[in-house]
Amino acid sequence: MNNFVELNFGPQHPSTHGVLRLRAKLDGEIVRELEPIIGYLHRNAEKLCELTFYADNLIFFDRMDYVASMLMESGYLEAAEKILNIPPPERVLWIRVIMNELSRIASHLVWAGAFGLDLGMLTPFFYCFAQRDYILDVFTEVCGSRQETNYMSVGGVYQDLTPEMIEHIDAFLQSFPKKLEEIYRLFVKNDIFISRNKGIGVLSKETAIDYGVTGPMLRASGVNYDVRKANPYLVYDKVDFDVPISQKGDNLARFLVRFEEMRQSVRIIKQAITKIPDGPFFNPKAKKSMMIRLRGDGEYYARTESPKGEFGVYIVGDGGVKPYRVRVRSPSFKNLSVLPVLAKDQMISDLISISGTIDLVFGEVDR
Amino acid sequence: MSEPESDSISKGKDGLTIHTVSKDRLLEFMKDMKERGFNHLSLITGVDRRDYVEVVYHLHAMDRDEYVVVKTTTDNGVVPSMTSLWNSARWDEREQYDLMGIKFEGHENLKRIFLPENWVGHPLRKDYDLSNVQYINMDEDGEDYATFDQGDGW
Repeated sequence: MNNFVELNFGPQHPSTHGVLRLRAKLDGEIVRELEPIIGYLHRNAEKLCELTFYADNLIFFDRMDYVASMLMESGYLEAAEKILNIPPPERVLWIRVIMNELSRIASHLVWAGAFGLDLGMLTPFFYCFAQRDYILDVFTEVCGSRQETNYMSVGGVYQDLTPEMIEHIDAFLQSFPKKLEEIYRLFVKNDIFISRNKGIGVLSKETAIDYGVTGPMLRASGVNYDVRKANPYLVYDKVDFDVPISQKGDNLARFLVRFEEMRQSVRIIKQAITKIPDGPFFNPKAKKSMMIRLRGDGEYYARTESPKGEFGVYIVGDGGVKPYRVRVRSPSFKNLSVLPVLAKDQMISDLISISGTIDLVFGEVDR
Repeated sequence: MSEPESDSISKGKDGLTIHTVSKDRLLEFMKDMKERGFNHLSLITGVDRRDYVEVVYHLHAMDRDEYVVVKTTTDNGVVPSMTSLWNSARWDEREQYDLMGIKFEGHENLKRIFLPENWVGHPLRKDYDLSNVQYINMDEDGEDYATFDQGDGW
């Protein structure tokens, strides 16, 4: 007893997706105990939000999940606009749905590419990032920036979608599904990939809910919970899409659920660009000169579906121009907390693939 | 089934029911809520109200998708831990201890999660001095210790 080898992973390790540090107790090649150590990217965004005006806080949210920053912005605005009583006009809701889903595809593509790298597959990485670049080109066109977009603002968006932009999004939607299937085949037709993921890292339904796991990870364990369906925000109740679930709960199930989600996102954007109504792209109450004077009161908890899971923003206002307290429920943080359970009594090589399927983004875990 | 016995019930701006419970009865109340199907503890938030600290729990019933809010207050910053009921409380309580300085009684591993072990103070407190910049250094034995630079911060 107690002749375990203690092994330290990270925080600078190629397969830890950022700055995750793991302290593992090994019995030969088998992980007996695991402790994730986080906080290397911590900058206390919640405190920064308390020091800044409501409308300016968006920049901190951009930098949380930096591969899906559009979704972080719209998640914050779900709560902030209710606190400030500035509802966005109809057209803005549709623009946000389009941007959210594009961002979701981009995030899943980054995940798929990095996950392939974890398992020693170099090729899918280039295929995924090439497709993602088309999405980032769209973002550059609408707001001038690739990753930290800062596109949405209180009561609207920074700039209207022109017909040319919609044409470019449409052109991407025409070419992308074919490419997605190509990427999909690169993974699932590979025997090594299947044997390293099938039946590995099984997460049961009860454990998942108990640890607060949400998003594709929860749905891969057989719980049909998607905030877009359960509590429709923006205009998700006006578009038609399916929520993929799997009963298996293993690595492969999480992989398949995420790929199906990308196909569903394409479906949503296709409907949104045909249904998008004309109208103003911001609420005139929220002109730039007014932004600084917006006062918020009351408390509001808004949940949205980010690519990682349920992204919740809880804002407490005290009637001032700055929020009294902002609390963020970051899904990656909750999903990471289940890793010690998943990795217990697994091979050390499986630990890499399991932590790969959690889809960690450290900007959001550490906040 | 009868209504859960909280001290007072109100509605938030988001339409969620807010139950206010004194901290002595909190654990018992939460046990009751778990039996009512609230199997997912979504979020634990500490709010520093200057005179006292408010702890806000967001509970979620996954099967019927119902959210409720449970609030409790504490003068001395000690509340009972929820780790015996929901495992998702483990990291959330560690985070609130780290940033807000709330002590959760009964948590088996209550240590800082984001900040270094020997950090001084809890940054989300309203009286945390932002002008006093803190640096964490390592001494010869590998232990952390903090040094300060007054007047160099926000």
